[in-house]
Amino acid sequence: MIDAIENSAYAVWVRESPSIWAYTTILSLHAMGLAIIVGINTIVALRLLGYVPDIPINKLRQLYPWMYVGFTINAFSGLSLLAANLSNDSHNWMFYVKLTMILCAMINLELTKVRVFDTPAVINGTGVPAEAHRFAIASIVFWSLAICAGRLVEYPNFVEKWVGMLFGH
Amino acid sequence: MVETISHLLLKTGLDNFVATHDWVWPVCEILHFFGMAAIIGTVGLVDARMLGIGKGIPIASLERFVPIGVLGLVLNMVTGFIFVAGNPVGGPQEYLTTLAFLIKMTLIVIAGVNLLVFYAFGIARIANATAPDGSAPVSAKVVAAVSLIAWFGVIFFGRFIMYNDTLLNALGL
Repeated sequence: MIDAIENSAYAVWVRESPSIWAYTTILSLHAMGLAIIVGINTIVALRLLGYVPDIPINKLRQLYPWMYVGFTINAFSGLSLLAANLSNDSHNWMFYVKLTMILCAMINLELTKVRVFDTPAVINGTGVPAEAHRFAIASIVFWSLAICAGRLVEYPNFVEKWVGMLFGH
Repeated sequence: MVETISHLLLKTGLDNFVATHDWVWPVCEILHFFGMAAIIGTVGLVDARMLGIGKGIPIASLERFVPIGVLGLVLNMVTGFIFVAGNPVGGPQEYLTTLAFLIKMTLIVIAGVNLLVFYAFGIARIANATAPDGSAPVSAKVVAAVSLIAWFGVIFFGRFIMYNDTLLNALGL
């Protein structure tokens, strides 16, 4: 199964094509998508935490589609890179940490939409639910950990060594 | 020129520091990505608003997040300096002779000059006076478009530094 995916025509093209649009462009799209979704999400979170109060919170709701654009770019580029490197990534536990953090961050993003942005108080501009702070902090924490884990996927030897040193085995 | 700069960068001793501390490179990579998200999230969002996205959000208010982006830029200049001066394989000259790196640096300069134009020519003042749900003036839209293209170009060519041959091949060089 893993071999079949990794040797599929698309995975081989992503990994081995000398075309400028193959591996490296897809890799750079993955960084751009990250910057879009994490960048916007962080600004939204900072506003929910009380920074720059003259921005009406209900106006930030329209940034959701742009965060989904970032997410879609990264789902596409991420799946492409995964197909190309499947045998390596599927054995890299840090990759699963990254996926878990992204899953938590996306669930948190949706919960923020339903429990903060779509509440009558926020829509009418009369107040903000108290739990907005918790969603905001969770979003910053999950995305930060997702970036850390994502970068560490590239350094499995370094991770093994430090985990061994810190937790002794 | 490249040799002179390389020589100066090597005097920092960062190459030795990176070679003897295996955590430096991965930690700087992580920070470099945080800095990137901070720049796009702040500067990029102001640009997007000036181009008409997120009407209802006052441009001047959004600009108050820009210091976070400046912090991200400083963070990335520091970590980027460590990558170049501390490059364990090939040394600084490997970066300084890589086309993707030189294009990335040029785009950062363009983004910087663009920002100076934004503030020095009074475009920021007019843009900030835009009504919360109004349209920014054309001059501000041009600055915003240049900024977005430059910063996303920085990401694009930044990723090509490690795959410079692909870039050279595509350009027929």
